[in-house]
Amino acid sequence: MRSLAAATASAQGRGAATADAGAARPGAAHAATARPGAGAGAFGSASSDAARADAVARADAVARARRLEELLGDPYDPGNPHGLAALLDADRRAVPPYATEELLDAAGIGAEFVPAEYGGRLTRADLLVTALRPVFRRDAALGFGYGITSLFATAAVWAAGTARQRAETADLLLGGGRAAIVHHELAHANGILRDELTARLGAGAGSGVGVGVGSGAGAGAGGGPGRGSGGGSGAGHVLSGRKDVIMNAARAGVLVVYARTSAERTARSHSVLLVRPDQVADGLVHLPRVATAGMRGGLFSGLRFDGCALPADALVGRPGEGVALALRTFQVNRCVIPALAVAAADTVLHSAVHAVTTGRSKPMARRWRGPLAGVFADLLAADAMALVGLRALSLLPERSHVLAAAVKYVVPDLLRENLEELASVLGAHRYEQGSSRYGSLAKLVRDLPVAGLGHAGNAACHAVIVPQLPLLAQRSWLRAQEPPPSLFRPEAELAQLDYRLLGAAGGHDFLSATLVAAAGRLSGARSAGGHLAVLAELAEEFVGELRALRAQVLAGPELPAAVVLSDRYALLLAAAAVFGVWEARAAAGEGPGGDPFLADPAWAVLALTRLGGRLGIAVPELPEDCVPRVLEELVDRYRTGRSCDLAGTAYGARGTEAAG
Amino acid sequence: MSGAEGPGGTGGTGGTGGSGGTSGTRSSRDGAGGIARPVHVTGPDGPWDEVAAGVAGHGHAVVYATSGEWLTAALSDAALSGAGSSGAGSSEAGLSEAGLRPLLGRDWQRYRRTADTTVRHRFVTSRMVVKYTAAAALGTEPTALDLSYRIGGRPYIRGLDQIDVSLSHTEDLIAVGVSRTGRIGVDAEPADRRMSFELLHDRVCTPAEAAELARLPADRRAAELLRLWTLKEAYTKALGQGLRLDFNEFGFALDSGELLAPDGRPAARGEWSFGTHQVLGRYLLSVACHDAGLDPAADTAVHTMLDAGFLSVVEEVLAEG
Repeated sequence: MRSLAAATASAQGRGAATADAGAARPGAAHAATARPGAGAGAFGSASSDAARADAVARADAVARARRLEELLGDPYDPGNPHGLAALLDADRRAVPPYATEELLDAAGIGAEFVPAEYGGRLTRADLLVTALRPVFRRDAALGFGYGITSLFATAAVWAAGTARQRAETADLLLGGGRAAIVHHELAHANGILRDELTARLGAGAGSGVGVGVGSGAGAGAGGGPGRGSGGGSGAGHVLSGRKDVIMNAARAGVLVVYARTSAERTARSHSVLLVRPDQVADGLVHLPRVATAGMRGGLFSGLRFDGCALPADALVGRPGEGVALALRTFQVNRCVIPALAVAAADTVLHSAVHAVTTGRSKPMARRWRGPLAGVFADLLAADAMALVGLRALSLLPERSHVLAAAVKYVVPDLLRENLEELASVLGAHRYEQGSSRYGSLAKLVRDLPVAGLGHAGNAACHAVIVPQLPLLAQRSWLRAQEPPPSLFRPEAELAQLDYRLLGAAGGHDFLSATLVAAAGRLSGARSAGGHLAVLAELAEEFVGELRALRAQVLAGPELPAAVVLSDRYALLLAAAAVFGVWEARAAAGEGPGGDPFLADPAWAVLALTRLGGRLGIAVPELPEDCVPRVLEELVDRYRTGRSCDLAGTAYGARGTEAAG
Repeated sequence: MSGAEGPGGTGGTGGTGGSGGTSGTRSSRDGAGGIARPVHVTGPDGPWDEVAAGVAGHGHAVVYATSGEWLTAALSDAALSGAGSSGAGSSEAGLSEAGLRPLLGRDWQRYRRTADTTVRHRFVTSRMVVKYTAAAALGTEPTALDLSYRIGGRPYIRGLDQIDVSLSHTEDLIAVGVSRTGRIGVDAEPADRRMSFELLHDRVCTPAEAAELARLPADRRAAELLRLWTLKEAYTKALGQGLRLDFNEFGFALDSGELLAPDGRPAARGEWSFGTHQVLGRYLLSVACHDAGLDPAADTAVHTMLDAGFLSVVEEVLAEG
């Protein structure tokens, strides 16, 4: 595989192996040959063909997003059948917005969830987000219910399925079909995660295949097409049990079931089964739809399997590989969901700016400036962290595990806090629940917990971060080498997302190194004054926090102290992402495609000050012109109808100046 | 409110310790009994079983205590763990740094900046009650918890989002809410606090509320205004917005306790529960409790929260190097 050091070297000429980079996994060498051009930055590429293909993929994703924006039309036009008023009305009636689902069908959005290798449009996780944000900025529940759950469900197939399983799954999704995921029960399970199915695997399952979690879960690189077991021979499997809350259970053409196949509480307790409901002869019962408080229009219902016979080739991956597959593939979801949720929150921020500027000739009331600028800075920070996570899935797929969990842990929580802050800005408008101008807040407040799975989702993140903390403290923190700058630059070349390469856990952290290095680079600016000096001071405070964290982890904390440290660490990674993205923007600042606002440190200072506040560390006073600078950009983006994320995408529809 | 009931709750005598110390209750909102009866916790000994059972069974629990009741414990706790303490001759000396720092965590600096002794004591005891209450719900030790604050000022227990907490104090009373279903907010006020309807109704009430209040006899009107005030405080605290939310931008139906938009339309669909109780015979304690609708696990214990399957896979992978 291309090691971290090699990736860095190819991008920057820095080189030199580090303790972290040296810990390559056995069997991972496969990855390097499979992925030409991986890790190449802006300064060179292993393959110009790959670079060209990547550039085409990026331009194509941007074009698809633009086209989707146009198709969906002006969100604020009350007469638009795909506008916010119509979507909110469908939510009120607790039905999917069928007209808009048909529109998405016609646009072939199902192809977004199928890897390009199998005829779809999925190339990179960050480009998937680019392509889908137009849907999520209007309605996160639509994005889930229409489709992205199909990607979550089929991830195990892309990671470990046989060639036939992949081809059939691809055909189904490309033909407009859906896949549903039937989760196993996690600790502290809520309604969505509660209960699980059990399966008795056929006698032939697993024969001749290494069952060890080591070779299965660890070396993601090994699972090429045809490698999964089953293969159509041997005895079939028997599936039993019920699960009550499954999104799209009734309309899914294929179910991906994480079934318990061993009563013991081991790493190999579960297996993944691919079930075609139309091919189950007997014993599959569809249970009634379940009403949910969030994503009210989502079609959640239950399934009961009464000893259903499944063919031998229903098994995905190896017997007992289920939990490992969940761990490996969930990291994509853990970056994609937060990134898409940023777009949903963006719409609420727009509505809040609308609320305090419309019909007002005087400047915005003083008390709303701090909250609005602060939420904008938080959205940029959330987007920065999500961007780094999404790109790491391609750039460093075996080392992204901890980062992905941190993204999932930090971003939805940050957004939830932002929504609460925006609720006060919206004032009485927040009760105008069907209003296209103001109804998005209440809806997202309901939908976001379903997207993030609440405490159970966060606890699952802790469950993978906590056991890796000691290794991170020993090996990575204050020791690892910086990741390549291309990690932080959306326009830089990137290898395709390959689910087969994703590692289950590795005790790696490359991102905290960015924090340390940025602090070093900024240290000279401390005496310069202004935003840069504050940024330098913040960097030093965060590094101090990393040092303290390291000492506390090395002291061997028990629960709950370990969870507290896991929380703090995740926030530190968010700060590191902000430094990395700001530095990349500052470097590109004057060049073509540079963005003067993102190159300016003001947004980073505000975002980092707020992250520091959440960590409870000492933060310097905000420079006087910080909030005004960020606010000015926010109001400009609102007036010109651009998104409040790093991309600042011009929305297809103007409408922000329209009467509300 | 309906004419049959007195302001701020019916009857009840002051709490005299133990769990039976609550006064009469008055639960408002759709579905009576939406808010659990507050539990009087007279010191670090609880009764915590009731709190844990309330969180598991009811989804939330509300406790109250007085600063005086807990100060003795704070002093002895601090003295016990603070080896170099100069003794409890004066209460100030009793609160040693060595004892308080682990208890207060990052609140220690804030404590040190507080000059007034009474305020300091209230600060310490209220944080103790929050931590002990949270620990009861989490099945863990209070000192291990990191009590932190959101940007809006809302307290939370870092890393342990299975519960949400809220704190209120007035005079000597400390009230703490803890919930596993969503946000919770509590607010306490002395029951005899008089608020001038004439002076305040514009800022505190929606037009519909003001009209309803105006129809009441003067004494009832004042009492109802106070109850409304505490409900609004509790709700804004649940939203994490402290004083940022304008009280005339949302309202309550006086009889049903339902949350209303300023124009009088329902503003929620039953996801909020509100209630007001009278405690110790002299305080109004209002609670706002949100149910995010995820149907969360009844188990909120720390030691069961890390999924065993995920843990074991990660540990095996790491062991393999």
